[in-house]
Amino acid sequence: MPLRHFQNRQPHSSPSLSWNGRYVAALVQQGNQRLALIEDRVSGNLHRLPLPADNTAVRLSLSPEARQLAVQVTQAGQWRVQLFDLRSLLEPDLPGGTAVQGGGAQTSP
Amino acid sequence: MPQPIAPLNSRLEAIGVNRDPALSGRWLALISGRGGREQVLLLDLERHQPIDLPGLNRADAQPVSVSVDAAGERIALVRQLEGRTELVLYRRSAQSLQPIPMLPSGVARQVQLQADGRQLAVEVSRGGIWQVDLVQIP
Repeated sequence: MPLRHFQNRQPHSSPSLSWNGRYVAALVQQGNQRLALIEDRVSGNLHRLPLPADNTAVRLSLSPEARQLAVQVTQAGQWRVQLFDLRSLLEPDLPGGTAVQGGGAQTSP
Repeated sequence: MPQPIAPLNSRLEAIGVNRDPALSGRWLALISGRGGREQVLLLDLERHQPIDLPGLNRADAQPVSVSVDAAGERIALVRQLEGRTELVLYRRSAQSLQPIPMLPSGVARQVQLQADGRQLAVEVSRGGIWQVDLVQIP
C-alpha cells in the first residue's frame, strides 16, 4: 500500500500507526538527512518534525491517539528521547473510529 | 508544528541516557541507562513520574526492546539473560512476569504491543531471516 509522501524518501524505518491507521509516522531518508514525518492518510497532509541540525533521529513512537510523538535521537554520540505535543497539529485518532483503508488521500497539503 | 514538551524532556534528561521509546495512552516506556546499566522505565506522562515496576528489571538482564499498552497494565519486553534472548510479558497489577515462547524458536528483537494489549508484534530472527510474528495474548 503506497504512502504518498514516503515514496521518494527511502529507505524508511521505525513505522508507527495511530489507532485506526489515519496517521503513519516514520523515519525517512532525504539526501543525507534522516527526517521524522507524519502522514495524515485522510487529508493527505504531511507533517515534518523540526529537529536541531545536530540531532539525528533513530527511532520514533507515535501515541495511538496521535497526541504525542516520542523520538530517540543521537546528539554528540549520545542517545536521548524527546517528546513532542501534537494536539495543536493533529485531530485525535481515537479507538472505535473508522479504520482508514487504501493508500490515503491524493490531495496536496 | 509539533511542540517539544519541555518539562517532560527535562525530566527525561535528568533520568539518564534513554532509548527505544514506546508511547501508549498516558504512558511512555523506554530503556534508560545510568552508570553503565540499563533498565526498563515507565513514565506517567500526566503526573511526570516514573512508575515502580517490581520484579521486571534484573541487574543481570540487558533490555533490548520494550512496549506498553494504553492502560499501562501490560509491558512487553525483549531482554538478554544468561546468554539467551527472551520475550516476556509483565502485568503491572499482578507484578507478574510471563515468558512468551518463540515458536518455532528464534531470536527476538523489536517488540510492539497493540494499544489494547491483546496482541503483540515481534521481530524474530530464524536462520538468519528476519520475520515478524503476531502473538495473541490471553
